[in-house]
Amino acid sequence: MALVTPPSNERKRVKVYELKSNDWYDRGTGFCTGIIHNDEARIFVESEDEPIRVLLETRVAKENGYQKQQDTLIVWTERNTVDMALSFQESDGCGAIWDFITEVQQRMSGLTGQDDGLSDDVIDSLHPIILPPPELGNLQDIENVMRGANSTPAGRDALAKYAVEADYITKLVPLVEIAEDLESLSDLHRLCNIMKTLILLNDTSIIEFVVTDDVILGVVGALEYDPDFPSHKANHRQYLSDESRFKEVVKIDDPNIKKKIHNTYRLQYLKDVVLARILDDPTFSVLNSLIFFNQVDIVSHLQANANFLKELFGIVNSPTADTPRKRDSVLFIQQCCAVAKGLQAAARSQLYQNFINGGLFQVVTFALRHPDPAVRVAGTDILVSLIDHDALMLRTQIFKSISEKSKPLTDTLIDLLLVEVDLGVKSQLADAIKVLLDPIQNGQAVENLSRTNSEFLAKMRQNIQTTGQSDSIIQNFYDESAKKLFSPLKELEGRKDLTDLSVQEVSLYVHLVEVLSFFVRSHSFRSKFFVMSEGLASRVAQLMSSSEKYLKLSALKYFRICIGLHDDFHTQQIIQNKLFGPILDLVYETMPRDNLLNSACLELFEFIRRESNPPVVNHLVENYRDRLSGITYVDVFHSIIIKYEELKRVSSESPASTSKGNGATVSPHRAVVNGGRFQGLKDLEPDEESYFNGSDDEDDEAGIEVGGASPLKPVANGASPVRPLVSYTDDDEEEVEGMDVLSTTTNAPVTNQNQQHPAPASEHILPSQPAPSPDRLSEKRRRDEDDDDELGKLSSHPKRRTSASSQGSTSGGAVQQQPAHGHMLRRKKSISSGKDGGGKDGPEKGGKKIAISMPVKIGSGKEDGAE
Amino acid sequence: MSDLDKAIAQLRACRPIPENQVKELCHKARELLLEEGNVVGVNAPVTICGDIHGQFHDLMELFRVGGDVPDTNYLFMGDFVDRGFYSLESFLLLLCLKVRYPDRITLIRGNHESRQITTVYGFYDECLRKYGSANVWRHCCEVFDYLALGALVTGASKNLESSETSYTDAGTQSSIEDQDIEIEILNSNSEVINRFPRSSRDSQLPPKSSPLSSPILDTPSRIGPVGTGATSSSGGSRSNDGGAVLCVHGGLSPLIDTIDKIRLLDRKQEVPHEGAMCDLLWSDPDEIDGWGLSPRGAGFLFGSDIVKCFNHKNDLSLIARAHQLVMEGFKEMFDNSIVTVWSAPNYCYRCGNVAAILELAEDGSNGGYIPRSNGDLGRKQEMERDLRKRDPPGRRYRVFEAAPQDSRGMPAKKPVADYFL
Repeated sequence: MALVTPPSNERKRVKVYELKSNDWYDRGTGFCTGIIHNDEARIFVESEDEPIRVLLETRVAKENGYQKQQDTLIVWTERNTVDMALSFQESDGCGAIWDFITEVQQRMSGLTGQDDGLSDDVIDSLHPIILPPPELGNLQDIENVMRGANSTPAGRDALAKYAVEADYITKLVPLVEIAEDLESLSDLHRLCNIMKTLILLNDTSIIEFVVTDDVILGVVGALEYDPDFPSHKANHRQYLSDESRFKEVVKIDDPNIKKKIHNTYRLQYLKDVVLARILDDPTFSVLNSLIFFNQVDIVSHLQANANFLKELFGIVNSPTADTPRKRDSVLFIQQCCAVAKGLQAAARSQLYQNFINGGLFQVVTFALRHPDPAVRVAGTDILVSLIDHDALMLRTQIFKSISEKSKPLTDTLIDLLLVEVDLGVKSQLADAIKVLLDPIQNGQAVENLSRTNSEFLAKMRQNIQTTGQSDSIIQNFYDESAKKLFSPLKELEGRKDLTDLSVQEVSLYVHLVEVLSFFVRSHSFRSKFFVMSEGLASRVAQLMSSSEKYLKLSALKYFRICIGLHDDFHTQQIIQNKLFGPILDLVYETMPRDNLLNSACLELFEFIRRESNPPVVNHLVENYRDRLSGITYVDVFHSIIIKYEELKRVSSESPASTSKGNGATVSPHRAVVNGGRFQGLKDLEPDEESYFNGSDDEDDEAGIEVGGASPLKPVANGASPVRPLVSYTDDDEEEVEGMDVLSTTTNAPVTNQNQQHPAPASEHILPSQPAPSPDRLSEKRRRDEDDDDELGKLSSHPKRRTSASSQGSTSGGAVQQQPAHGHMLRRKKSISSGKDGGGKDGPEKGGKKIAISMPVKIGSGKEDGAE
Repeated sequence: MSDLDKAIAQLRACRPIPENQVKELCHKARELLLEEGNVVGVNAPVTICGDIHGQFHDLMELFRVGGDVPDTNYLFMGDFVDRGFYSLESFLLLLCLKVRYPDRITLIRGNHESRQITTVYGFYDECLRKYGSANVWRHCCEVFDYLALGALVTGASKNLESSETSYTDAGTQSSIEDQDIEIEILNSNSEVINRFPRSSRDSQLPPKSSPLSSPILDTPSRIGPVGTGATSSSGGSRSNDGGAVLCVHGGLSPLIDTIDKIRLLDRKQEVPHEGAMCDLLWSDPDEIDGWGLSPRGAGFLFGSDIVKCFNHKNDLSLIARAHQLVMEGFKEMFDNSIVTVWSAPNYCYRCGNVAAILELAEDGSNGGYIPRSNGDLGRKQEMERDLRKRDPPGRRYRVFEAAPQDSRGMPAKKPVADYFL
């Protein structure tokens, strides 16, 4: 025992969970230490609130079945058969305690057969493993010895140790060729088994060694003869010895880095091809982390090399470089950016800064205009990773262009969107435009705040400044560029026949309608004015007469979003332009069939019925009564007529109540909807609901006081007033310990903006659930935590932007999207969520959902989480 | 359509088709899927399949065992992609077949047909690797949004006609010729492994309270097979209508009490994190009362009372779903009111499970009358008339193992082609 070093006693913040009737019960948050006392290893957790209280005291025993899950979780079963879990805030802390446990356990298993683990002189060096000399004749013995050793942890360690010390792999490698020459398939199969076993020992130094120049071909050569596929031979050697796969766009001088690049490629090949079928989770994550750390080294080396960057970024403008080289340079940069996603924030910032100084924007512009779609795709990829990294930075760039009266990036993107023919690039461009003009994205900057104090403060100031910046970018957009962007829509005016649209036109309209839907949700007053002055609502309605069904669908969704906004302005746009006409046409057109379009129509009217907004219901029934009552195959339309009559009765009974406006009629109904999931068909996220509730006052106020002129009223910069507030608060509370003062300041600028329309108090307390009933609360909360298993993992994935288009296109999707992200990001970092962290670290994909992979009995026999 | 046939041939050889063809295919598929209701009406006979998960060679094995398209009607209950190494080829092949034979194959959405899930569980990486950009992934995801959420199989026969093939074990023949066969289990060579007549169900099938009512798990003493050849055509004067079967990937939702409610969803969206659409794709049946929280973090657990009530209310005789690995390939629960079908043998190339597909035979009694394609309309009246518990249709399970290794080469991902870093 004396050999075990207790983990350094800096305190590791941790949450303690106990499994009670299949639910993880939170025993509290505290600080974890591992100590060795009287030759007994113990783990303590003392409460952070009352340091005297001990949340957990447990002896490390070898039969407890400790498991480390993801990066931050240790799970085991106590001797009283209670399942326990420690969820660490930091993966370092988890690692330290885990090392402690494994070391203690190793000592214990080294002592098997001893009475009680008191003697400490028996260690594995007494049972060293010696493999027979690496000769063809010995292969069977070698395999047997290895198989025996492989079955115990101590044996595996000893085996790994021996293989490294004896340089065993180097000695095995020549045997492959000898066996091949002898055409001895059985020996080759044994060699393959031996090699597999050695790699799956999961020893970092072995894995790093097998990909080095000297042995790699021999190693994969042996692995070509898999006994599981006796009639097959892979051609790994041929693949890996093909030097032409490595594209050296700019000469890399440092031989070490170059070696690392090759080795990384081989690791990837091992992971994806050679070992793909047999990889166990630990080896998979070891490979992933080796790859990741190598890439980090390579990228950091390259980005710090000024000459290299100069040459790299010079290529696209160089008159001498040929087209393939220019293309490769873009692809190279794309790959760097892809690797950068996994870097720590500071390193990533530095990389992008160096790239930008080198001329990244020129490369992006070059790539976006390139005739080869593959290069344009790379260009958009780089752009999207830039946006993902720091949209603020790009906005600053745009702002600079605007103030310098040069062409801002958004305008370039708009130009390209209008002419782009590659549908993939087109949707990326549309997404990029959305993100760059998304006022809420400013909130992202705050995400970066919590890193260090000084940085935090610096960013704070920047943030205040950028709120204005983003505002002026959006203003500039509506002044200068919006007309251009939506000109194809506007030009539809007077066009009678939409049945002959080309594929390109259709996809352009689909994107434009989606972008417009997004703007309508996020730039309330500017977009309103724009939609009105350009008469866009009628144009969108026109699209419903096209022959392309999915275009009709996008158009329909625009109106669904407008109605979902509960905004009198949009309602009036629809009413005044009589746009329910074309929507009902669509119902009639699709009615005989039960198809997607028809269901989308029904959903829209179902929403109207549920919300029963009097102006909409009145308008519908007063103008289209016959048509509504003509639809009998579902009762939604009939119910709307009944609603109308109820409303009429109510208003004739008590005329006063109508003067109170929507609120009176609508709120009680909403309260029901808010009650929880069980209240009937409902597709609104609670977030979305809260957003509506929150902004209703604003809308009513605008509607009543200024009537149709509300667009001109400077309402809180058009941003959704509620959402950023929510995610900030949470982030700060949980991330920034002891920074309460600062976190209050964080809210300040945002709150100021919205002082006219204070958000409902519930927003601050429980962002995702406006006023849930108490009994639902606890349940909902547990659900939330469960959600993290999957969702936290997903949200943390760097590619989230790629999904923007879909989310934007859902009914009210983007309305949910932002809070959802904020929420998930918070979850990801938050220690309270306890069970997440699966995807915290890119390479750790293999990590399983805790709720299943823990020794919980509920999931037995089921497949794991994501099925 | 020769281009399409070429694409099918190429995909059958497990070779991806070029990006522009994918684009075109997705475009066509989208047009087609748009015309499908949220719950597609499907007429028996049909073969119902569960998760595929990119195990291309096993999908080929499935077609070998179950019959090829278009000779056999298929209904795939989602999760075509992720996990396996050939998600792209598997999904594109199914999509090609859908476009080529729209009435012969039905695809519904699984929880893996989602942007978020595919970025984590492999399909995104696979597309990136095979095409160098995420465009193909994007096209596919667009198609995912159009996939139906469920299917309603009508016109299934209550009893199976015995298959013409012989028992695996010829020694145990004892005739049940005049009994109607409710469940028949065949191996991949179409040999009968087990057979259960309907009349014997109460006495011989596993006790109703048994949580695992899969005939494989609790095998009653073997009942003799039908003599080959002479089979009594089932039915006679009794109704031969096996009732409707609802197929969804996951299960039920507390927000959906009637199938009509599913029609009111706007399905063209990424799978949401909660709500009816999410539940249909994520929920699982479980031995509980009522509804429970799902350990998956999305969807719910639902108990036998929920299933029975739902089936009764919607005049269903059975719910078929996928979504959970079952080692035996299929598993019936709750007095045969719900079945899980799993069609990815040796899942993830290492789970050691067998796979199954479920065949529902055609009910000849409707004299070739084909119900409305959305299947749902007009059922209401009937429901009011007849509200007793419906017996499920006759079910023939074909159980199969992973494709023999020689047919597939070594499963591996496609290596990164060129590299800079």
